[in-house]
Amino acid sequence: MRTSLFVCISVLTAAPLLAQTPVAAPAAVEPQPPGSGAPSDLPPPGGAPAPTGAQPAPNQALVVPPVAAKLDKKPSVLRVNVTNQPWDFMRPWGKRPPYSRRAVGAVLPGNRVLVTGELVANANYLELEAADGGLKVPASIEVVDYEANLAILKADDPKFMDGFEPMEFTSASVGDTVSIWQLENTGTVLVTNGSLTTAEVSRYPIDDSPLLVYRATASLQFRDSSFTLPVVKENKLAGIIMRYDNATKSAEIVPSPVIEHFLKDVAKPPYRGFARIGLSFSNTRDPQLRRYIGLKAGGTVGGVYVTDVLKDGPSDRAGIESGDVILKIDGEAVDQDGNYSDPAYGKLSIMHLIGTRHFAGDTLKFSILRKGEVKEVEVRIARRAPESYAIEPYVIDKAPRFYVLGGLVLQELSRQFLKEWGADWVKKAPEEFVFMDRQQGDLFKEPGKKIVILSGVLPSSATVGYEELHQLVVTKINGMSIDKLADVPAALAQVTNGLHKIEFDGEPSSIYLDAAAITAGDPALMSNYRLPLLKRLD
Amino acid sequence: MIARIRRILFALLLLTVAASAAPNEVRKSLARISNSAQEPNYRIPWLPGRGGGGSGTGWVVSKDRLVTNAHVVSNARFLTIEKENDPKKYIATVEHIAHDCDLALLKVDDPAFFHDTKPLELGGIPEIESSVSVYGYPIGGERLSVTRGVVSRVDFRPYSHSVVDSHLCIQIDAAINPGNSGGPVLQDSKVVGVAFQGYSGDVAQNVGYMIPTPVIKHFLQDIKDGHYDRYMDLSINTFNLLNPAHRKALGLQDDDRGIVVSSVQEAGVCAGLLKEGDVIMAIDTLPVASDGMVELEGERVQMAEVAERKYLGDTVNFSILRDGKPIDVAVKFTRAWPHAMQANTYEQQPEYVLFGGLLFQPLSRNLMGAYQFVNPRIDYFFDTYITKAVYKDHPDLIILTALLPDPINTYFSEFREGIVDEINGKKVKTLRDLSEAFEEKTDFYVVKFIGIGRPLVLERAAVDAARQRIKKRYNVPEEQNLTAS
Repeated sequence: MRTSLFVCISVLTAAPLLAQTPVAAPAAVEPQPPGSGAPSDLPPPGGAPAPTGAQPAPNQALVVPPVAAKLDKKPSVLRVNVTNQPWDFMRPWGKRPPYSRRAVGAVLPGNRVLVTGELVANANYLELEAADGGLKVPASIEVVDYEANLAILKADDPKFMDGFEPMEFTSASVGDTVSIWQLENTGTVLVTNGSLTTAEVSRYPIDDSPLLVYRATASLQFRDSSFTLPVVKENKLAGIIMRYDNATKSAEIVPSPVIEHFLKDVAKPPYRGFARIGLSFSNTRDPQLRRYIGLKAGGTVGGVYVTDVLKDGPSDRAGIESGDVILKIDGEAVDQDGNYSDPAYGKLSIMHLIGTRHFAGDTLKFSILRKGEVKEVEVRIARRAPESYAIEPYVIDKAPRFYVLGGLVLQELSRQFLKEWGADWVKKAPEEFVFMDRQQGDLFKEPGKKIVILSGVLPSSATVGYEELHQLVVTKINGMSIDKLADVPAALAQVTNGLHKIEFDGEPSSIYLDAAAITAGDPALMSNYRLPLLKRLD
Repeated sequence: MIARIRRILFALLLLTVAASAAPNEVRKSLARISNSAQEPNYRIPWLPGRGGGGSGTGWVVSKDRLVTNAHVVSNARFLTIEKENDPKKYIATVEHIAHDCDLALLKVDDPAFFHDTKPLELGGIPEIESSVSVYGYPIGGERLSVTRGVVSRVDFRPYSHSVVDSHLCIQIDAAINPGNSGGPVLQDSKVVGVAFQGYSGDVAQNVGYMIPTPVIKHFLQDIKDGHYDRYMDLSINTFNLLNPAHRKALGLQDDDRGIVVSSVQEAGVCAGLLKEGDVIMAIDTLPVASDGMVELEGERVQMAEVAERKYLGDTVNFSILRDGKPIDVAVKFTRAWPHAMQANTYEQQPEYVLFGGLLFQPLSRNLMGAYQFVNPRIDYFFDTYITKAVYKDHPDLIILTALLPDPINTYFSEFREGIVDEINGKKVKTLRDLSEAFEEKTDFYVVKFIGIGRPLVLERAAVDAARQRIKKRYNVPEEQNLTAS
């Protein structure tokens, strides 16, 4: 029983506080890895896998004395130091403050070093450092794939790599003991053993591209240079860590099959990336659904129900429609949950079969069931470039496009922009934009379409009365439809009577700007707000 | 010790001088209200609901009626009121309740209650910085409490009881605490407001709000015909015309007059009369400034305040410029805004349909509060319900809120929190549509949800077999409640 009825007090508190929070200031102050918008079901990325806290008690350290025995040669690992500096999507003319990440990379044949893509995302400067912390040389990225979360680095001075023993690859199975290698300050390798608990297709930091992930449980020690670490089985590389949760001691690992796919692709330039089929599907476990769509009940027949087909994607071009049931891919039977029987891992999602066991450009035979009849179609699989999305899933290493029009800040909506609201962006970012991102396959079907938004206003003499406008979708300028930011200059050329008309999908529906006032005010705008430039369109 | 007592006496004396209404007189007009409420349970909608309630303050407004806040007497199952110096608890009932302006009128069963009471008179809008006294029964003791402060500002503010309504509101710096709700705020022995909401001390200091007399009078006038019609609403959005370029484009002079209509709700009273792009120059002959304010009785207030003072059947007259031409538009208030699902509701048992263990409920603020969905799709449709006119296709947005586990629905968890779009090819606009679709004799019920590619398929034979089983297992007395539709 409440003691009082004055409930209104608590109801009111939230709103005015929010009103005082600047709209263009997301909560994230700390540098965050690009994949930081993790849903709550995944361990928090936490910036680095390195566990923090006290030094380990001796009895909990599963430390095997270093593999120093074979140190007549240099070890097959070294330190990688990266200075990252992402662009600030709230103030797209500038970058955020730089921050540093340190990791342990695995040496590959050909004097190359393997690390995660996340480590080098938006890197300004890279350095390789000998394990004992002595010699350092500048390095550069040879290939990076943010979707597969992998990158290959090369030392700028090739001599630095002399004498390193490259690592070979091995795959691992559930139950295997694997070792995670960290480096002591002395350069000796600190080995923590753990067991591989799971191998499954799961989300990578870029939300849209699930690939095979190993999970292992291991009590990692706090050491410097632990943003990513090699995972080793019998002195061969089984994977590299991409996330570590200190609370559950669970590591998520980019596994060797994904790494080997990446390296094979790299070996045959141009790099094509991991392919997809451009559809989404749902399980067919429900017997009522199976009877309704004419699948035999009882579980002997599998198949997944196609829920959406990406327009002009590989499946669409092959003639697959939503409502079809996929029975077989490449001769492998697809079960009710969308798994096939993998020789190495047992039941595994068909996403692994398509993305990792095949390469972009391969043609796969699909058996599909449509209206009670089995059909064979051929799907030529391809990577889906981030640029092909209306709302790009990530914008890394690229400066955001923007246009400051008399103080109105126009830019293209991307998930990178939404992630400026922090790890909890799905809940905190403007819900209309989050909804658009989630439903973009349904909402924006024309190729090349982008969503141009007014992200905020820099108050100026031209924008009097418009100061509070923000997060509005721009539909037209001077009557011309705006389907990407690059459309803006041509639309501005259509000015009538010296006034630009800007139309929004929202409130207000339109506003006007004085073209002459914009031109006259631009120098003051640039100097007042210290803007290095007023637009970036490519 | 003696010094302390003296200081207290001094303070009391001061008070008596300033607010010439002697507390002993005011006592005759005040009552403490205790509410035994039952709050509907939106998660188990067939249950009568959880017990709740609390206490607040009321005051005598006429020879046999009391005024208090709607939130003091909401969801009441049993109300009692007490007077100072009278041990008896009187049973009261709600005669009229206005959730959109947080006011209620109470009757007392036993006429003896009003034997020695004295109705309070209503005053006007007090001056800024003038002193006011707040009377009531807040926490901290049992007997009447008085606090005092000044009028800090007069503004148009949201009323948190319904969440969606905003009216004129007066901020005072007198301490207002839980239990003060519904109590009168007096100046020169007249009521100038009803204490109703404030900020917790974590947020702001000495910020309390009272419902001013224009709102109280509006409520008392509205119910004179025995029915509360609610506040009238223009259901339009407007945008300022401060920008010189904007004014020039619309052919306006540089005279700080006029605001532009940025949208007109199709279900509102202005539909067909006002258009997007119209420039409102005056409302009921009052000039509208380019920031949307009008001067009303000496105060600069938002244009909406003019509509606020209207009643069902009244007319508001706009002078507008349409495509540069001046025209007059008369808008008659024929109904209150019909699609109010974003407002908190009270006194209503939740509507639902339970079918095959699937619980379908229309989206509402109460439902959002009960389930705390973390679902961008639901957030989007809730927030854009009016702005994107979602109500046209989906007056009810029907959510599959829960599954009562049964073999028939064991594979349906991915549909939870889905919004029903159609059943067997027919659009579902209301909960009644959904109920009727499930009454049809068909082999399969194929339910499509917005944005979910796979349909939910129920076999009629299987549902028929499951319904009684589910009702019994989960102790559900009724499979549906459609009372509000």
